[in-house]
This record gives sequence, C-alpha cells and structure tokens, in this order.
Amino acid sequence: MIRFFRNIWFNFKEYIVLVFLLIISLSLISINDTKSVRNLRTFVFGSFASITSIFSDFINISNVKEENNFLHKQNTELMLQVNRLREYGIINEELKNLLAFKDTSKYDLIFSRVLSKSLSITQGTFTIDVGLKKDIKPGMPVVDGNGLIGIVYSSSDEFSIVRTLKNTNLKLTVKDERSRVQGILKWSGNELVITNLPKTSDIKPGDRIIISELSTLINLPLPVGTVTKLINPEKGIFNDVVIKPFSDLVKVENVFVIKTIPSKIINEQELNFYKN
Amino acid sequence: MLKNYIAPVLLFFVVLIIQIIIVPLIAIQDVVPDLILILLVFYTLKNGQLYGTILGFIFGLLFDLITGGMIGSAMFSKTLSGFIAGYFYNENRIHQYYKSLTFPLIIILCSLIDSVTLTFISNFDLNVNLFRLIVNKALFPAIFTAVISLLVIIFYPKRSYI
Repeated sequence: MIRFFRNIWFNFKEYIVLVFLLIISLSLISINDTKSVRNLRTFVFGSFASITSIFSDFINISNVKEENNFLHKQNTELMLQVNRLREYGIINEELKNLLAFKDTSKYDLIFSRVLSKSLSITQGTFTIDVGLKKDIKPGMPVVDGNGLIGIVYSSSDEFSIVRTLKNTNLKLTVKDERSRVQGILKWSGNELVITNLPKTSDIKPGDRIIISELSTLINLPLPVGTVTKLINPEKGIFNDVVIKPFSDLVKVENVFVIKTIPSKIINEQELNFYKN
Repeated sequence: MLKNYIAPVLLFFVVLIIQIIIVPLIAIQDVVPDLILILLVFYTLKNGQLYGTILGFIFGLLFDLITGGMIGSAMFSKTLSGFIAGYFYNENRIHQYYKSLTFPLIIILCSLIDSVTLTFISNFDLNVNLFRLIVNKALFPAIFTAVISLLVIIFYPKRSYI
C-alpha cells in the first residue's frame, strides 16, 4: 500500500502539488475580507511600504516637491469647487430655486504621495504615504486635480492601500451630469463601463459622469470621466457605456484623500456595503 | 530544499520594488511588463516544474499581500505559470535557454496564461469581450515582458552566480 502511494507520488507529484496549491489559492480568495486576512495584509504592506517610500524618495525630485504639492492642492480644491458649482447650477435650474441647499463645509484634503502602483489587469491598487495617524480610514475617496482616483481600502499607521477605478472590486453608483441617468460603474478588466443601462437612457458620448448622490461609498459629486462610446446600441435591451476617466492612473504621482465621512453611524453602515 | 528558495525570494523583493516604483514610469498605455514573471520563469527553467510551481505560489502570495490585491488571485495565476514554465525544464539545456530566443517565447506563453487566469479569477464576466481582453490585456503585456526578458539573454553570465 505504502509502495503504491509512493509510486503515485513519484509519478504525479507535480500535479498533486499543483492541485493542492491551486485549492489553497481558491480558498484564500473566498476568505479575502475576513479580519485576520485584512490584518495580515495591513501588516505586510505597511512594512513593505516603509521600504518602498525610501526608494520612492530618490525618484521624486525633492526641490520641486513642495511647490508641486501646493499647486496640486490648489488645483484639486479648484476642481472640487468648480464641480460643486456646476452641480449646484444644474440642480438650481432644475428645481427652479425651490430647494435650499445647506452649504457643505469645506472639503478637508489630505495630501499624499503615491509610493507604488500595482498596475494589474484587474486589481489596480496604489500605496499612498498617509494612514491612520492622519485619520485616514477605509472608504475615503481619493482624488487628484482631474477627478476621482479610487477609494482607500486598507490603512496602517503610516500608509494606505487605494483601490483605483481600475479594480474590479470597486463598483460605484454614478450619474450622467447632463441627463441625471444613474448607473453602476465598474472596471471590466479592459475598460471602465457603466453596465446594463436601459436603451431609452439619455446618454451620449461626451457627457460628464460624476458620482451619484445614491452612492453608498462616496457622498460627493466627484467627477469620474466622460462617455466615449455606447457598446452594442443596436441590439439587446441594455446598453453598456464606456467611460474615459479624467485622471490618468498611470501617470498620477500625488493625490488627495478627502475626509468626508460625516458621522460614525453612517460611516459604519456605509462601510458594511463596502465590505460585503 | 528550503535553501533553494531563499535567493529567489530575496531577489523577489528587489524586483518587486522595481516593478511597483520604476516600471509604471515606462508603461505604454497601461501596458507594463511583469518582472516577477521573468524571475519566476528564470528559476523554474533552472530548477524544474515542482520547484517552479511552489515558487510561483510563494511569489503570488507575497505579491497579493504587498500590493493589496485580492489574496489568492496572483497566487493562482503565478502557481499555474510556474507549472507551465516547468514543462520546458531540461537539465541539459538550462544554459541554452538563457542564451537563445526560447526564453522570451516561454515568457510570452507564461505571461499569457498568467494574465488570462488572473482576469478570470478576479473578474469572471461573460459579457466581457474575451478576444479584446486577451489582445489588450494579455498579449501586449506578454510581448512587453518578453522584450524586457531579452535583458536576461544579454546579461546572462557565462558562469552562473544566481
């Protein structure tokens, strides 16, 4: 009997090991969001990020960094302000000044450098150099001067991981700024798409796409991108719409985290959607 | 046995730093080479299929943990890539691989398998145009990775130190 198993092992050990390791991999995928795995990930990326930050510093030109940071911050604040005004204008026109909007407080922007990027096909993530010490929490939106970059996924004391728009696990409720059509935006692995929009939806190439007020993850009308084309407009009952993001995720080096979580209770409830 | 894995794992960290800090600077339209895969194939061709499978698993696990990706996705794809690369292992041809164009061709094959598997594992969607996905997100990165792997042929030492 032992000889029999020994023969099997000797002849098929590569296959046995392969199947065993693949099963472990698949099992780990299913327990990805458990607390222990999250803690392990936070510990490992936090440790590694402190090393990469040293190398990252060499690459960044230090003497223009401060000026650059200031300009980026100013640019982002202006972008948010313009976007907010644009949003107010449309809403005011539609409701003919019947609604009075409570002025939202000034956005609290936390500047951060992108230490490293994982430009994976489906799992786009950034590591940024701010974390729990600066009050960064999972769920906070990350932007640059052009628009939304992603959402903070996990934070250690000094660093955070950002799930970018090019991550299949990040799905956002967005709307067409002109026609107010709502949809779910996701990364297909190839392009950024709003899926399953009814054929009758008024959406055209060139329309600006922003975060919807229905979004449980982000409560700001942040700009995301523009509509570039409709997929299969001639058949089926639904359209998929391809979006070109405003931000260039490959080139971006500096970002801002927006501290937008309004209350602990809402935060916890919203994060439940994010975690599930 | 364990000793054989120390050098590649240490090299992995060096290559990973280059992969996540420097490689994005040479990206062409989102397409980046996968240096981790080059390292994996390099060691697999040197040490065999079983070794490559296990090394792929280790590389994938570390990559998932460090980059914050879905844990298990890169593990799966890199394990499979290591296994496939192992089919080309031949004790008598180890050094020939690193001095000929066979190496980049193996890289292309493994990179295609790696990309396609990763896409299916982390984003299984029947609506996705598979052909476009393979061309844009698997073939171009595979070719880019193969081009970068030519450096291995150019700089491969006459005597083996690694």
